Amino acid sequence: MTQSHTYAQEHHEIFTERFIELVKIKSISTDPAFKDDVKLAADWILGRMSSIGLDAEAITLPEGRHPVVLGTWNGAGSDAKTVIVYCHYDVQPAVIADGWHTDPFDPVIQDGKLIARGATDSKVHVMAWLSAVESLIASEELKVNIKLLFEGEEESGSETIGALIQQFPEKVSADIAVISDGIIRSPEQPALIYGLRGIITMEVHVDGPQKDLHSGHFGGTVHNPAQAIAEIVAQLHDADGRVTVPTFYDDVAILDDDERALLAESDESITQEWQDVANAPKQWGEPDYTIHERIGARPTLEINGIHGGYTGDGFKTVLPAHAFAKISCRLVPNQDPQRVMQAVQDYILQIAPDTVKISFVRVESEAPAIRLDYTGQAMQAAFHAYQKGWGVDPVFERAGGSVPITHEMLTITENLAIMGFSYKGGGAHGPNENIPLQMFYNGIDTAIYFLQDIATNEG
Amino acid sequence: MTTSLDFAKSNSQRFEDELIAFLKIPSISTDSAFNPQVREAANWLLAEFERIGLSTELIEMEGHHPIVYAEWLGAGEDSKTVLFYGHYDVQPAVMEDGWETNPFEPIRKDDGFLYARGATDDKGQFFTHVKAVESLLQADNLPVNVKFIIEGEEESGGEAISKYVKEHGEKLSADVCIISDTSMQDIDNPVIINALRGGITFEMTVIGPKQDLHSGMFGGTVHNPAQALAEIITKLHNDDGSVAVAGFYDDVLELTEEERTEIAQVQWDNVDWSEATGAPVPWGEEQYTLLERIGARPTLEITGIASGYYGEGSKSIVPHKAVAKISCRLVANQTPDDIEKKVIKFIEKLSPPTIKVEVKKLRAGALPALIATNIPEMRVAITAYENGWGATPIFKREGGSIPIVSDLQSVLGLPVIMMGFGLNSDNLHGPNERFSLQMFHKGIATSIHFMQEIATLPSIEATEQ
Repeated sequence: MTQSHTYAQEHHEIFTERFIELVKIKSISTDPAFKDDVKLAADWILGRMSSIGLDAEAITLPEGRHPVVLGTWNGAGSDAKTVIVYCHYDVQPAVIADGWHTDPFDPVIQDGKLIARGATDSKVHVMAWLSAVESLIASEELKVNIKLLFEGEEESGSETIGALIQQFPEKVSADIAVISDGIIRSPEQPALIYGLRGIITMEVHVDGPQKDLHSGHFGGTVHNPAQAIAEIVAQLHDADGRVTVPTFYDDVAILDDDERALLAESDESITQEWQDVANAPKQWGEPDYTIHERIGARPTLEINGIHGGYTGDGFKTVLPAHAFAKISCRLVPNQDPQRVMQAVQDYILQIAPDTVKISFVRVESEAPAIRLDYTGQAMQAAFHAYQKGWGVDPVFERAGGSVPITHEMLTITENLAIMGFSYKGGGAHGPNENIPLQMFYNGIDTAIYFLQDIATNEG
Repeated sequence: MTTSLDFAKSNSQRFEDELIAFLKIPSISTDSAFNPQVREAANWLLAEFERIGLSTELIEMEGHHPIVYAEWLGAGEDSKTVLFYGHYDVQPAVMEDGWETNPFEPIRKDDGFLYARGATDDKGQFFTHVKAVESLLQADNLPVNVKFIIEGEEESGGEAISKYVKEHGEKLSADVCIISDTSMQDIDNPVIINALRGGITFEMTVIGPKQDLHSGMFGGTVHNPAQALAEIITKLHNDDGSVAVAGFYDDVLELTEEERTEIAQVQWDNVDWSEATGAPVPWGEEQYTLLERIGARPTLEITGIASGYYGEGSKSIVPHKAVAKISCRLVANQTPDDIEKKVIKFIEKLSPPTIKVEVKKLRAGALPALIATNIPEMRVAITAYENGWGATPIFKREGGSIPIVSDLQSVLGLPVIMMGFGLNSDNLHGPNERFSLQMFHKGIATSIHFMQEIATLPSIEATEQ
C-alpha cells in the first residue's frame, strides 16, 4: 500500500459517482444523432483531466469525426519515462427493447455491479486510469510522465486516432504504452494477452451457367456452382483439421516448451469457456495442439459465409448460375498476410475444375499477427501490477482475435502491454452491460502499481 | 372416314373464332384477383362441351379452382375410352412485359400465328381435341368413348387435380390418355415426349456451435458448419459426376441400344448446350450423352446453399449452422420414397461427430414417367401424326417433371401419350405467346385420326391372350 492507494481507497465513493456521471452520457459513436453526446463526454473528460492537473486537449482529425482527448502531464521531468495509455470513451448503441432490465443510460448499482451501457466497454478503463493518475498526483507519487489518449470512435472506425498517431508523432511519443481495454479470464483471475492473431479476408466466387437454369432441363450436364464451391471448400482442410494450402504453415513460429507451459496454465479455463460459449457437439482442430494453442498460436482458415441459389422458404428448382464463399484466415507470427492470401488463391485456382470460372474479391485490408514480448518492461510491470492489485498472479494468454489499435500503438513503442479490467460476464455490446465495482477498484490499484513499477524498475 | 375431317375443314374459321373467345378470358390462376375470370373460363368451357354434346360436371374442391369434367360414353362399354387432360388456366401477362398487342385481345397475324396468353399453353393445344370430338360427333362417327379432365390451376400447383385423380380414379378409367401441353422444334418434326423425370427435394441442415462464434476467439477449435456442409456435399458425388448415395442407381433402367438410338434422333448437341447454358464445358456422367443425362439419368442437385454472413463486407464469425437445399431428379423405376430413405441414410452416415446434421424431405415427391415407345397406343399415335400432321414424330425424353403425367400413369395405369402441338418458339410464359393456326388445324386432324385408329386396336386382354 502506498499513499496513492490510500487516497484511492478513500475516494472510492467519489470515483464511483464520477463513473456514474460518465456512463450517463450517451456517447454512441456509431449513430450521428448522438454526435453532441459524444462531444459532451469528451468535454467531461477534458474537465476531469484539467482538474487533476493534466494539460488536456480535444483533437479531431479530420474535422467532423469524434474527438480524441489527450491529457499530458510532464511533471516527472525530462529524464523520467513517459507512459501513454490508450482507452476509449465511446459506446455501442443501446435501447431498453434490446432486453435491458433497466435504462442503459440511467445507471443502477445492483449486487455490487454498476449496470449501464459503457460500464464494461470501456468507461471502466477510462475511469480507472483517471482515478489512478489523480491519486498519484495528489499523493505526489507520480514519477513518470503521462499521456492519456482516450478516443471517441473505437466502435466506429478509429479514424482520428490513426491520423493523430501518423501525423503528430511527437504528441503521442512515449517509452511505454498501455492499451487498456478488454476482458480478463474472470473477475478473480487477471490475464495478460501477449499475442493477437492477424487476419486476411476474401471472397471466392464460382460462376457456372450464364443464368440460373431449370434443374430439370439441364441438371446432370452442368457443374452446379453451389456444388463446385462446396467441393473447393471441402478441399481446404484435411481430415485432421489442418489447412491443406501448400506453404500455409511455412512461416508459422514454432511453439517452444516454455511457451507451451505458459499457455497450458489457462487451458482449463479456456476449455471451460469453449463448453459454455461454443458448445459444439465435439472439439475439432489440429490434434497436436491444445485448445489454447489452436486459438492463440495456430493459424486458421475459416468459412465465414457461403451462399448460392435459392435459400428462402420452400423450394425452387434452380440450378444456380453463381455461388460464393467468404473466407478469412487468422494469422500468427510470422505469417505475411499478402503471401498467405496469394497462397490460398493460388491453391484454389489449382484445385478448381475447368467446368466453372473462379474469381476473387478482396474484402478488407489485412493485418499481421502480433506477439508482444512478455519479458519486456511494460509486460513485466503489468504482471507485477496485477499481482498486487488483484492479489493473484495473472496468466499469460495468446488471444485468437485482433485488437486493431495495437498496430497503431506499436508504431509509438514496442514496449507495450494490454491491460483489461473488465470480464466476459460484463456483456460488452449486449444488454445489461455491467462491471463489478470491485473490478473497477482493483483496476485503479493495478494502474497505480503499474505506473509506480515503471518508475522504479528499469526494463 | 373423311366426313369428320371435312367437317373440321369447313368449320376451321369458326373453330378459330371459338378459340379466340376462350382466350379472351384472362383465367390467371396464380393471382387471386383473377378468381372470377378463372371461373368464367371454366363455365365457358363447360357450356362448350355441352353444346357439342358431352355431359359435364364442374368439380369443386375447397380452396381450389374448379376442374372441368366432360364425357361422352356413346360408343358403348365394349369400345375404347380416351381420356384427354388439359388446363384452362394461364400465366399472368401484362403489356409492360413486352407484349406487342394486348395479351387478352387475341390477334391473328400475317405470319399465321394467333397471339394471346394461353394460345399454346394450354388453351389452344387441348382445344384441338375438343374440336376433333365435335367433328367426329357431327359426322356421327365417334368410335370411342371420350373423357375430358381440364384443370384450372396447372400454373399454380396442380394440387387439386392430383388429389382428384388419386381419390376418383374409377371415374377417369380409360384405355389411353392424351396430353397436349408440350412442343417441338419445327412443324415438320413433331415430337412425342415419352419420359419425364420425377423428383424429390430435401433440406439439409448442419448445426455446429450453439450460436455464431467470433472466428478469432474460437476459430480452429470448432468444426465450421459451412465447411462441414461442404464436406458432406462433396461426398454426394463421385469424381465421374455420378451420385455417390448408396443404392441410388439400383432401380434405374439402363438404356438399351434401341433407346439410345431413339434419343440420338433429337437434334441437340454440345453447341446447343453451350448456347443454352453459357457454362464453360459440360459436366456429368461421361458415358452418357447430354440428352441421355437429361432425359434418362437421375441427378442430385444443390439448388441452394447458405451459411453465416453473405452480405456486404466481412463478418468474422464461425457460423452456428449451414443449410443446403437438394433436389433429386428421378428416372424410371426409381421412386421418391425409396430415394428419400437412401439419401437421408447416406447423409446421416457421412455426418462426423463434430456436428449434427438433419435432413428432411421438403415436399411430396413425384414419380418419374416412362412410356414405352413400342406399345400399340404409341404406334397408333405415330400413324395418327403421319396421317393428320403429315410427318413422323420422334420420341424425346424431358428432364423436367409434369407431376400429373406420373399420377395418371401410376394411379390410373394408363399409357400417357404426350402429343404436343406447340413450337419451342411459342414463348409460353413470356410475352407475345402464340400458337400456329396451321398447327391448330393439324392437331385437330391428328386427334381425329388417333381416335379413329385407336378404336380398331384389339383390347389389351385380347392381345395378352
